[in-house]
Amino acid sequence: MTMRTEAEHPFFFGDRSELFGIYHAAAPAAGKAVLLCAPLGQDQIRCHRLYRQLAHALAAEGIPALRFDYYGCGDSLGTSAEVRWDRCIRDTVTAANELRARCGIDRVVAFGARLGGNMALAAFAAARFADIVVWDPVIDGQAHVATLDAMQEALRQDTRRFIKPRPAAFADEQWLGFAVNPELRAQISGLGVGWKATPSLLLDSLPASSSHAWRAVAVDDASIKVLQPSTPWDDLARLEVAILSHPLVQTVTAHLRGAHG
Amino acid sequence: MTEQAFRFGRARHLIGIAGLPDASPDAIGVIVLNSGMVHHVGPFRLAVDMTRRLNALGYPTLRFDFSTIGDSGASGESQTRLQQICADADDAMELLRQHAGCRRFVLVGLCSGAQNAHTVACVDDKVAGAVFMDGYAYRTIGFKIRHYLPRLFDPLRWWRRLTRGRAATERSSSEPVFSTVPSPQAVVRADFAGMLKRGMKLCLIYSGGINTYFNHPRQFRECFGSVMADPAVSTRYLKEMDHTFALVDDRKRLIDHIEAWLRRNFPVTHAGTSS
Repeated sequence: MTMRTEAEHPFFFGDRSELFGIYHAAAPAAGKAVLLCAPLGQDQIRCHRLYRQLAHALAAEGIPALRFDYYGCGDSLGTSAEVRWDRCIRDTVTAANELRARCGIDRVVAFGARLGGNMALAAFAAARFADIVVWDPVIDGQAHVATLDAMQEALRQDTRRFIKPRPAAFADEQWLGFAVNPELRAQISGLGVGWKATPSLLLDSLPASSSHAWRAVAVDDASIKVLQPSTPWDDLARLEVAILSHPLVQTVTAHLRGAHG
Repeated sequence: MTEQAFRFGRARHLIGIAGLPDASPDAIGVIVLNSGMVHHVGPFRLAVDMTRRLNALGYPTLRFDFSTIGDSGASGESQTRLQQICADADDAMELLRQHAGCRRFVLVGLCSGAQNAHTVACVDDKVAGAVFMDGYAYRTIGFKIRHYLPRLFDPLRWWRRLTRGRAATERSSSEPVFSTVPSPQAVVRADFAGMLKRGMKLCLIYSGGINTYFNHPRQFRECFGSVMADPAVSTRYLKEMDHTFALVDDRKRLIDHIEAWLRRNFPVTHAGTSS
């Protein structure tokens, strides 16, 4: 671990150095590099450890990787209330080019969990991704917004968290700990099946009760891998529990090490 | 003001973000520690919002990850966890000394972060102040009276208890919870006395999120005795808030309080300098 961490380089990049990233250097044996596109809000914090583990695993396979935060997220500049979908896509393009510049490899593959997967798909052409791997991406933006609204309302009234329910005004325009502006809300609500690319691998760890309408986005059965156990993305009781998945790290690494991507 | 990302430490194993405003050489450096396993941005980005607010006032800051947490790796040394915590904190202070000239520091910690801040504050003379959020606390007699007495005469509670069944109780008790490893009350009380004797300023902020063992402002004194009445100690009980300050306005009020405490005890005398 001590030797490996030396290959992790934290830095700010982009116009006016607004974006934060950590580059995981590797001897470029695989001829490709991977951009790890984070999900938004609390999903990003919950996935932080897993993204780091995945970056380590990829680097060990000779695949350089870059983790980064969108403007208004993580350590990047900006506030949570300033997060915008279109800005996130631009940041993804910037990050992809930064990764190319750092590793000297033009062939960049994107990985993204949840909205990070949607982000990678939306940025596919502009970022010139060679391939995309997604994990439980959002198929129905309106339903996703409704779920987040319901969870926020439940959080406000959660007497395991608060001594008594908080007034509605205290929880307005927020999703699970993060301010959300109306523009982002509308942008996420508009997400649908009109994906601009087809991922070579779609990892499905949604609970059985969820919609698994992956075929609606033209993903064939051979490209879908079901992971067990299911990931408790929308479980309020686990809001602050890290999301970890050894099978996911192994599956993505094996996929990208192989002929695909 | 600029933020810079650093890999630092005795084994270059630590990663952190320093906020480096123009500051006088004797400026107080503020270091925000990990809360549990959350990486250095803090719960709901609390550490980012806090450090940037303090940077705007002229305080140099560092939010970083302890060994093996968040983005930091292991040092490769054979040390106890407490030794690692103290060595990592020393590395963090050295970083702010090199880049902002700081020689005195305030540590800010929530939950296990408060516990780690306490550990370092006990032994490191460079620590001039500390903000302990939901740190050490003990179920006092006062707590038990306030906690159990109302429940004894609440028929709705009895009804729920009788109808909920054993399964729900067992399920909830098996869920992971935030908590700090207890240190003996007498030891912690003596630690606080020692910190004050060394001239430290202390700010204790406890939330309603720990109401299973802390439920009233009086409990600071019930737990830790007369040291809590020392002018160098500030206590605040934010009853309505949760343990990780999940609501935006709650975080703003929390940061307001910490900012006011810092300005009162370690004032920035004019732009970019502190006394």
